[in-house]
Amino acid sequence: MPSDELTPPEAARWAARAGLRLPADRNAAVAATANHIHSVVAVLRELDFGDTPPAPAYRAEPENHDAAV
Amino acid sequence: MQPYELPLTAAADAIRARQLSPVELADSVLERIAQVEPHLQAYVTVAAEHTRRAAREAENDIAAGRYRGPLHGIPMGLKDLIDVAGAATSAGSRVRADHRAQADSTVAARLSAAGAILVGKTHTHEFAYGLTTPQTNNAWDTGRVAGGSSGGSAVAVAAGTATFTLGTDTGGSIRVPAALNGVVGLKPTYGLVPRHGVTSLSWSLDHVGSITRTVGDAALILTALAGHDPRDPASLTTPGTDYRPVSDADLTGLRVGVPRNHYFDHVDEEVEAAVRRAIDQLRALGARLVEVEIPMTRYIQATHWGLMVPEATAYHESTLRTVPELYQTDVRILLEAGELMPAGDYLRAQRSRTLMRQEWARMLQEVDLIVAPTVPATAVEAGQETITWADGTVEGVSDAYVRLSSPANITGAPSLSVPVGRDAAGLPIGMQLLGRPLGESVLLRVGQAYEQTQPARKLARTA
Repeated sequence: MPSDELTPPEAARWAARAGLRLPADRNAAVAATANHIHSVVAVLRELDFGDTPPAPAYRAEPENHDAAV
Repeated sequence: MQPYELPLTAAADAIRARQLSPVELADSVLERIAQVEPHLQAYVTVAAEHTRRAAREAENDIAAGRYRGPLHGIPMGLKDLIDVAGAATSAGSRVRADHRAQADSTVAARLSAAGAILVGKTHTHEFAYGLTTPQTNNAWDTGRVAGGSSGGSAVAVAAGTATFTLGTDTGGSIRVPAALNGVVGLKPTYGLVPRHGVTSLSWSLDHVGSITRTVGDAALILTALAGHDPRDPASLTTPGTDYRPVSDADLTGLRVGVPRNHYFDHVDEEVEAAVRRAIDQLRALGARLVEVEIPMTRYIQATHWGLMVPEATAYHESTLRTVPELYQTDVRILLEAGELMPAGDYLRAQRSRTLMRQEWARMLQEVDLIVAPTVPATAVEAGQETITWADGTVEGVSDAYVRLSSPANITGAPSLSVPVGRDAAGLPIGMQLLGRPLGESVLLRVGQAYEQTQPARKLARTA
């Protein structure tokens, strides 16, 4: 198992830390799904973001739209 | 031809010309529902009495000269994530068993004001968190998936049990079922159609849009729905416009981007062939084909998941703690696992989105739109979990269905899915047209130009 994967007890602890008490019989399945999601999103660490800001609330129209109004 | 078979545009013309009454149209659609709904299960609820009463009112209003426009007296379905005052918004979930909406969503209110008649609420994959809608059967083959999450909405339009419907789209949930059922799906620019009163899957990716028989129908709906509503924080202030495309099929000078990467990788041969034939048709109409390189494809799924997974978990934070057993297995596990995603992953996804939007904007300076398959495969059999590609690669069905549609959710770009034929098994194939933000008019013009080169599509022969 890769060193950055969560074990079922670790998944339960992380969930508890987030305020979610998992029934013990769900720990393994949640760990497996969380590890799969992690393996997908971890590739974003390859990107060099520099000063790029996040886009939590963005405008889809061209950037000069407001300026033209 | 029976009234239920009419596309919205034709039905509206006939109603305006007093050749068809809203009562005749409503009765025809309700009869069609009685005939095929037992096989399809597109609807959660059908409000037959309301439909007949509203149709009589529309008939009286129109006869008295109070014609409201092309949606007046038209029977529609709304995905059951969309609030209608006094009705339950079940979201396809037992979690919402006792729900009752206090007020209309913005889109329901705008359609009601335009005179459209709600026939019923259509099935969604639970809380829109999935790509199959297991409650509903494909309109062309009831042993196959409807697609999702707006599966009920697409099947209803394909089978003639609604003249048009609305769906929502967070990774492809309008366009995927539209493609799999042979109808037109439009995911507008992020923020163009307000989402107030629509249950969220992922705030920064959610869109509301239409599912229709024709591209012209989609333009009519968008004209009625677009416009600012401050109750949706993402709502654009763009002034309203008439999106109905001119019927000129000449595309001379238009630059159509054809992806050389991503959109034709791991795509079924028959799907690719049908889409490339449609692209050739655009060239025959005068368009200039330009090869384009899709940027940052390695990061599409990571960005989409990095945004959607934690946002969905956040939306369900309370009920995941109080009534977790009421969720379906597939949705519950995703919501639980989402609790374990660090904020750093979410922020990386938001920063990746910034980069991706910049790169897509750069690409869309070179072309006026991009054409591609909507989904890489036609409808799979119900219960099938994976697709095996020619090179032996195995891909989850949901991952495959969302792969080509999610970039438009990440970037906010508009995307229109149009039917471009069927495979040897008779299953529909869709092509998507991707445009610049607020470039809906271009997509509708091109979609309609293509549509006019093809024979009128028939409804699914659902028995």
